[in-house]
Amino acid sequence: MSTTLLSVRGLSITLGSDARATSLLQDVSFDVSTGQILSIVGESGSGKSMTAKAIMGLLPPKANSSGIAMFRGQNLLAKNTTPPRGTGIGLIFQEPMTALTPVLTIGSQLTEAIVVHGLADINAAHRRAIEMLDRVGIPNPVQRMRQYPHELSGGMRQRVMIAMMMLLEPDILIADEPTTALDVTVQAQILDLLRDIVFDTQIGLILITHDMGVVAEMASDVIVLKAGQVVEAGSVQQIFDAPNAEYTRALLDAVPSIEAAHLKPLSTKGTVILSARNLHKTFRGQRGVGPAGPKTKALDDVSLDIWHGETLALVGESGSGKSTLGRVLLRLTEADQGTVELGNMDLLALTGAQLRLTRRKIQMIFQDPYASLDPRQSVGAAILEPIIIQGSATKSDRHEVVSELLTRVGLTPEMANRFPHEFSGGQRQRIAIARAIASGPELIIADEPTSALDVSIQAQILDLLADLKQEKKLTMLFISHDLAVVRQVADRVAVMRQGRIIELGPVDAVWSAPRHPYTKALIDAAPVPDPHRKRGLRTPLTGSFSTGKLTEVAPGHWVAS
Amino acid sequence: MWHFLSTRLVMGFLTIWVTTIMVTLLIHAVPGDPVQIMYAQSQGTTPEQIEQVRRSLGLDRPIHIQYLMYMERLFQGDLGVTIRGGQPVLEVIFQRLPNTLMLAVTAMFIAILIGVPIGFLAAYREGTVIDIALMVLAIAGISMPHFWLGLMLLFFFALELGWLPVSGNSIMNLILPALTLGLSNAAIFARLTRSSMIDVMSQDFIQTAYAKGLPKALVLRRHVMRAGLLPVVTMMGLQFAFMMGGAIVVENIFSWNGVGRMAVEAIFQRDYPIIQGFILTFSVVVVVVAIAIDALYAVLDPRIRRA
Amino acid sequence: MDTKVDTSVHAAPLGFRKRLLLSPNGIVGLVIVLGLIFCAIFAEHLAPHNPAKMGTGGRFLPPNSDFFLGTDEFGRDMLSRILYGSRITLLIGAVAVGISLTIGMLIGMLAAFRRGWIEAILMRSTDILFSFTETLIALSFVAVLGPSLQNAVIAVGVAGIPFYARTCYSAALVETSKPYFEASISIGSSPGRLLFFHLLPNVLPTMIVVATLGVSTAILAAAGLSFLGLGAQPPTSEWGYMLAGSRDYINRAPWLMTIPGLAIAVTVLGFNLLGDGLRTSLDPVERK
Repeated sequence: MSTTLLSVRGLSITLGSDARATSLLQDVSFDVSTGQILSIVGESGSGKSMTAKAIMGLLPPKANSSGIAMFRGQNLLAKNTTPPRGTGIGLIFQEPMTALTPVLTIGSQLTEAIVVHGLADINAAHRRAIEMLDRVGIPNPVQRMRQYPHELSGGMRQRVMIAMMMLLEPDILIADEPTTALDVTVQAQILDLLRDIVFDTQIGLILITHDMGVVAEMASDVIVLKAGQVVEAGSVQQIFDAPNAEYTRALLDAVPSIEAAHLKPLSTKGTVILSARNLHKTFRGQRGVGPAGPKTKALDDVSLDIWHGETLALVGESGSGKSTLGRVLLRLTEADQGTVELGNMDLLALTGAQLRLTRRKIQMIFQDPYASLDPRQSVGAAILEPIIIQGSATKSDRHEVVSELLTRVGLTPEMANRFPHEFSGGQRQRIAIARAIASGPELIIADEPTSALDVSIQAQILDLLADLKQEKKLTMLFISHDLAVVRQVADRVAVMRQGRIIELGPVDAVWSAPRHPYTKALIDAAPVPDPHRKRGLRTPLTGSFSTGKLTEVAPGHWVAS
Repeated sequence: MWHFLSTRLVMGFLTIWVTTIMVTLLIHAVPGDPVQIMYAQSQGTTPEQIEQVRRSLGLDRPIHIQYLMYMERLFQGDLGVTIRGGQPVLEVIFQRLPNTLMLAVTAMFIAILIGVPIGFLAAYREGTVIDIALMVLAIAGISMPHFWLGLMLLFFFALELGWLPVSGNSIMNLILPALTLGLSNAAIFARLTRSSMIDVMSQDFIQTAYAKGLPKALVLRRHVMRAGLLPVVTMMGLQFAFMMGGAIVVENIFSWNGVGRMAVEAIFQRDYPIIQGFILTFSVVVVVVAIAIDALYAVLDPRIRRA
Repeated sequence: MDTKVDTSVHAAPLGFRKRLLLSPNGIVGLVIVLGLIFCAIFAEHLAPHNPAKMGTGGRFLPPNSDFFLGTDEFGRDMLSRILYGSRITLLIGAVAVGISLTIGMLIGMLAAFRRGWIEAILMRSTDILFSFTETLIALSFVAVLGPSLQNAVIAVGVAGIPFYARTCYSAALVETSKPYFEASISIGSSPGRLLFFHLLPNVLPTMIVVATLGVSTAILAAAGLSFLGLGAQPPTSEWGYMLAGSRDYINRAPWLMTIPGLAIAVTVLGFNLLGDGLRTSLDPVERK
């Protein structure tokens, strides 16, 4: 028997006043009941975070809200209602790294709210905190109480956040993108934890996210927001099986699925264009003069071949070394040891002018579209730069070359004189792509090129990359943490963990029948945008994994022994 | 934490060592013959006496020998003698150093006690009239030359109103110079504190604190203040160095018998041994205080204490 | 093949000039500084008398209709002295900051650009010099070379180098860590191109703000040295020096002390406000 805990009707938020007011949210309505997980889905700018803030009374000073939010018999949006923070409704944010006060111990941050709200005295609060830490799966809870946030990992800090809010025994918990900043295996654990808590305590959970896979896994009901308006609302099955609104359909279409059958034919082994052997790279904690800090082995004897015309994906969680590998190939980071053969040159041995000339053969597309373009350089100049450096076009041709490139990536030639800040994230990424192909490279390294973009834009960019690859016969090294995206774009995949490649093979083979336990855990953890596939508890990621030499277990499929 | 502190200690030693080198080289940078210049003003020094001084200073030897001589004497506590009167430089400095330190420390207290609360208040009331008014005051404070402020204070309080003595060495005499130094630096502390607090208040963890339902006063006191004061502590070392520099001028205005006043006189008299001694002392004091404050910071910031 | 054309228009943040005008600090500062520059350039036309001529009027005349700001102990017209002093003050600021800025930026950019041991040596040396404090460095300079305005200005300029080097280094470090910089490297840009086309333009705005604020520091420092008698020598109409001279006559002619001090304060205030305004107008980090 479930009761309605929160009833929101006609919630609207405007920023600023009078004529120049912008509307952030318009007429949003929903209910949350005991034991229910409601998901608010939207891309950036949809207003989903604002909804949470409005309910909690945490809106910025210039924002005004109107409407009704009935909770425990009171309208939360009315002028003089005390916000239900903590003991009524709890809130968890996205960035666990910055969400805890760095100068106070975990223990004091956990207990202070309990004491302030009068739920218990300090000793009882201390005991409850330890119990709750245990409940949320933190080992050594007694020790943790005396530690500081910086001594915990991101996943642990998020658990602490959950513990902190649950200690106040709220009726509802709002989780605003709680796992977006976490690795996929950690994300799975946190989501399991949340589901567990809801089941145990029968609180209502409002899960705000942009990830349709997470929605499918967790939610029972869904609201889809676009530009501040509710575009569609319904049960999770209904949204996924039979979406009504066009936006919802487009959103679902754009989401890559890890299970999608690979449509491209398996490419037969062609020529090897790049051959990396025995790459090592260790980072020290300290730079410059002074005793060295803790060392991190980013690349541990990595060897890899890249075939002509393929898209090879590098997959791994943070600290796997995948980005370092990309950077080493580009000579942005210098490897400690090893060779990289491109054509018949050792890339790592080149210096000076020859290195600069050879650089044009490998180009990179970076993750952050906001920082990968020089803010003081016009877009046209940025795209032209590789051409000017390599001297591959005469002065009179330059204008045409830029126009052609801009058009090719889906922009217009008039944009050449504008500056990066005038463009959106997706557009900037297109510009970055234009710059990357300008010098006619053989290999393109894409380092998480779509991670910072909305899912609908992501689909466009991935399509663009696929087209360009085919047209210009490009080879691509695609670095990503998103297993579904990799499934969609890659021919072969290499899974990395702690600086070593632990599995390598055709993406279909590896994804549908992974051999290495880590790969299995990764695939297991990735949320699938299909609500009918409810999952049970996952096998926890424990202990160490085999990271020995790679042995071929099937044609072209290698696994670390 | 020890890594942090040991780096600082090493740098401190290095700084003092470089100071000794620079101090030895100082004499050579003087255009012309330094010994001649030194004794130009005192009459009746024979060429033999000048030669004697030259030899005792080691100026007739190669530079590295001079340096070693200087260091040797340094470790014995001998910083040379003044040109006038031949007193040991070390003695002269030690007589006056406590006065300067008293001035600088008192000024520091004044600056912090006035500046930090003002900065805090301005941050708390960010954007309101109070904030704007306080910050205008702060900017005016920074822009005012401290020697002018000193003169004005001297004029009003000592001469016009006769509340405080003009010169001398009692505690009453400390008030005006300390106030002069302290007020100018209070403005800097105010602005610094304000920006640090505002920065902290926009951080995620403050949102978390509010989301827990903590009352505003508690959030400010426990979360904002503690996190926001850390950068202010960092700046204290720098500010102390500035104050030592400012003390030089202030001592002059109020005839306060500290090393600053001694140094300026020495410059006019071309009394190089004192100038050298002063530079060295100044350096050592600044370095020691800086390390002490760094140590304090290392203890206060858990991210460094438990790295 | 149907890559959709993306012609969405992104809301561009307000232009630089508009933002500067929006900052009240900036406006007031700009007005003061422009006024100062005006006085400095047209001092000859604006000054009613010869600032160095003794006995222009009676001695110690308080401000009156003939002598707007009164006369000093030698009967020289204060107004004229102040006006000519503005020229000297601006020159001091410009030259001192010019020295500090150019050398400091060279060091800072080089250190951030060529990482490794060059960086370590440059920055550690700068740190050491920095701990000497500008006052001490300036004082040492003057002690060695002898008191004169020239030496004082050079002293202040040299003393400021560590600060500018450090600031430029931090700013440059931020830029060199950004992807666009690495992108330029991966395109094959030569070190020269990286430094002048990419690093310098992005570091310059910050340094301009720092330099503007630094002009006030330099003016204060030079005035301080002159006040001690270690800078401007007679009969220069430098404001710090004028303040020093007023000490003996505080009781008799308080305006001799008030006016030059006020002039310094207003000048410094102007540059501080301008710098503040510039800083806020560069600030709006454009976020999605």
